[in-house]
Amino acid sequence: MSAFAIATNWLGNAPDFAVPYALAALGLILTERSGVLSLGAEGLMLVGALAGIGAQIAFGHPALSLVIAMLAASAVSILFAVMTILLRVNQVIAGLALVFFCQGLTSLVGTLFGWTNVAVTSFSALPLWPLSELPLVGRLFTQNIVVYLTLPIFIAVVWYLTRTSAGLRMRAVGENPQAADAAGISVGAWRFAAVLAGAALVGLAGAYISVVSTKLWIAGMTGGRGWIAVGLVIFARWSPWKALAGAVLFGCIEALIPQLAAAGVQLPQYFVSMTPYAITLAVMIWVAVAQKSDEGGGTNDGEPGALGEPYLREERR
Amino acid sequence: MAELTVDGSIATTVARQPFASRRFALEIRQQMGWLPQAAILVVSLAIGMGISAAILVAAGVPANELLNEFVLQTLFDKQSLMAVLFQAAPMILVGIAASMSFRARFWNLGLEGQMIWGAIGATAISFFDLGPPALRLPLMLLMAIGLGLSWAVAPALLKLKLGVNEIISTLMLNYIAGYFLLHLVYGAWKDPKDSFPYSPQFRAFERLPEWFGNVSTAAIGLALIVAVLAWWFVGISRAGLYLRFVYANPRMAEAVGVPVRRMILSAVLVSGALSGIAGFVVVAGQEGRLTQAFYAGYGFSGILIAFLARNNPLAATVVAVLVAALFVAGRNLQVFYQIPFSMVQLIQAIVVICVASSDFFIRHRIRRVR
Repeated sequence: MSAFAIATNWLGNAPDFAVPYALAALGLILTERSGVLSLGAEGLMLVGALAGIGAQIAFGHPALSLVIAMLAASAVSILFAVMTILLRVNQVIAGLALVFFCQGLTSLVGTLFGWTNVAVTSFSALPLWPLSELPLVGRLFTQNIVVYLTLPIFIAVVWYLTRTSAGLRMRAVGENPQAADAAGISVGAWRFAAVLAGAALVGLAGAYISVVSTKLWIAGMTGGRGWIAVGLVIFARWSPWKALAGAVLFGCIEALIPQLAAAGVQLPQYFVSMTPYAITLAVMIWVAVAQKSDEGGGTNDGEPGALGEPYLREERR
Repeated sequence: MAELTVDGSIATTVARQPFASRRFALEIRQQMGWLPQAAILVVSLAIGMGISAAILVAAGVPANELLNEFVLQTLFDKQSLMAVLFQAAPMILVGIAASMSFRARFWNLGLEGQMIWGAIGATAISFFDLGPPALRLPLMLLMAIGLGLSWAVAPALLKLKLGVNEIISTLMLNYIAGYFLLHLVYGAWKDPKDSFPYSPQFRAFERLPEWFGNVSTAAIGLALIVAVLAWWFVGISRAGLYLRFVYANPRMAEAVGVPVRRMILSAVLVSGALSGIAGFVVVAGQEGRLTQAFYAGYGFSGILIAFLARNNPLAATVVAVLVAALFVAGRNLQVFYQIPFSMVQLIQAIVVICVASSDFFIRHRIRRVR
């Protein structure tokens, strides 16, 4: 294959790999901005992926399947919200329990209903004429509808968080719940809403993998992408645009691997499979080193002030 | 505004509660007797098992078979009971491994990765035929400890030196270790005798011995020795006392002269070493060779055991036997009713959710307000 064809394919495939990371990270940022540490992404992605494929097998409308997947992930996240917000369970334990709950549940449901390895049809590529006719970058503008919608979703969420009073309240609850409470903002209710809304986006990310990208369901098919998204959020310092940039970076790297193989570069298969995890680790270290070097300088590092802390008025100081 | 008064209790009775109705106020409980605490724990466990049983029945396991399968067959049949105890050995080890790092407030979720490296270390001794047969098992154990421990070094140092989140780093290292294992069992270490992805079988002197009956009792013995040592470490030794300071308040511990960072590092390394031993026990005891997914499920089980046992090594030993029974019963369900093995994971998660939620009633009191 010519270098030109490889580059074209690479660019063209990168968004497909980037979208799940981007949407999951955006959902996590939405939740964590309210102060709830959300480690359950891996599980919620699986729920979205399974619900999406189930709906696709039953009804066959991909748009409907994505909506059902979002609702399913939100519904399961109620469990997490009740645990962390109402019952004040340690958020790490609650997040881990949610992941394992979802892994077990999706595997069980997928087996019982016989949804495993059932191929579905879904969105086809939608060329954006005339951009799709451009040389080299043309493939970049021949994507499915969800890829195109990712950017508006980002704009909407960022607009909500930074330009609306509701977004301000949600961030206030995550930054300083004591002050927010004193100002008459219900900490619990806003956190509940943030968990549910964030879970819907994470579920959409999962459903993208099963319904739109792979077009089938296999138990545990998200393969750690939810955890990588959690790492991506830390890398992005809770900023949606940086998270999008990180997701694109990850998408490009993942899309490069099959292209290298197609170009005849001999790579040891299992070392190639390791790369997303190794890169996540490398990125986390890089961020930590960068942060360490400008310590004392910037005070606002983006992390919500009350992240991971359950709020209880009676403990207010 | 009433909320601004200094006295918290007055403030709460007047203030609007976001979720509770205005007639009820939430209070922090100072202390609760052990008997009501135990009662809450038992009730929450019962609720968890009840939900799990309902899911199993909904999944197609006949209700009357459930009791038979889970309780009678697993615990009252001698052979099955031996299998449970045998399964308990690696469970005890991962449970104590998790509790060691949790005692230093370090979320070591890398138990599976450390197990994999322990198992790879043990298998390497067998594969390259290192050392005389009489010393073979101790060598395998040492190698497992060494490699399991070294896989915990990086996340521990990254956390202590740079503040890298250990939850993500240890999880990423699990995936990396898992793929390296596949690289070995599908590649250089693949048994040439057949096409399955596992290493050549260990020889008899590389297997943990079977002292009484036909299961490896040595594995159980090893796990119990580790449990007693861990109990001594956390309960009696000076390091254990230091670790309690670190857990309670790292800043205060630092101020009174406890070597906080060294304590955290040691606890995490001990955790990695114990996971390595667990990997050794599974390959040299149960499997008899390095297989591609021998570690599956142990990571979460370890966390569950440490959580339910409140990081206490002796309690972890007891909980590990129960989790082992669940594992054995799960394998039976898989064979007889085509229930996926992840059902075990689901039940474990439900139990954690119920017990974690029940803590709320131990730590809080809901008071009626007139």
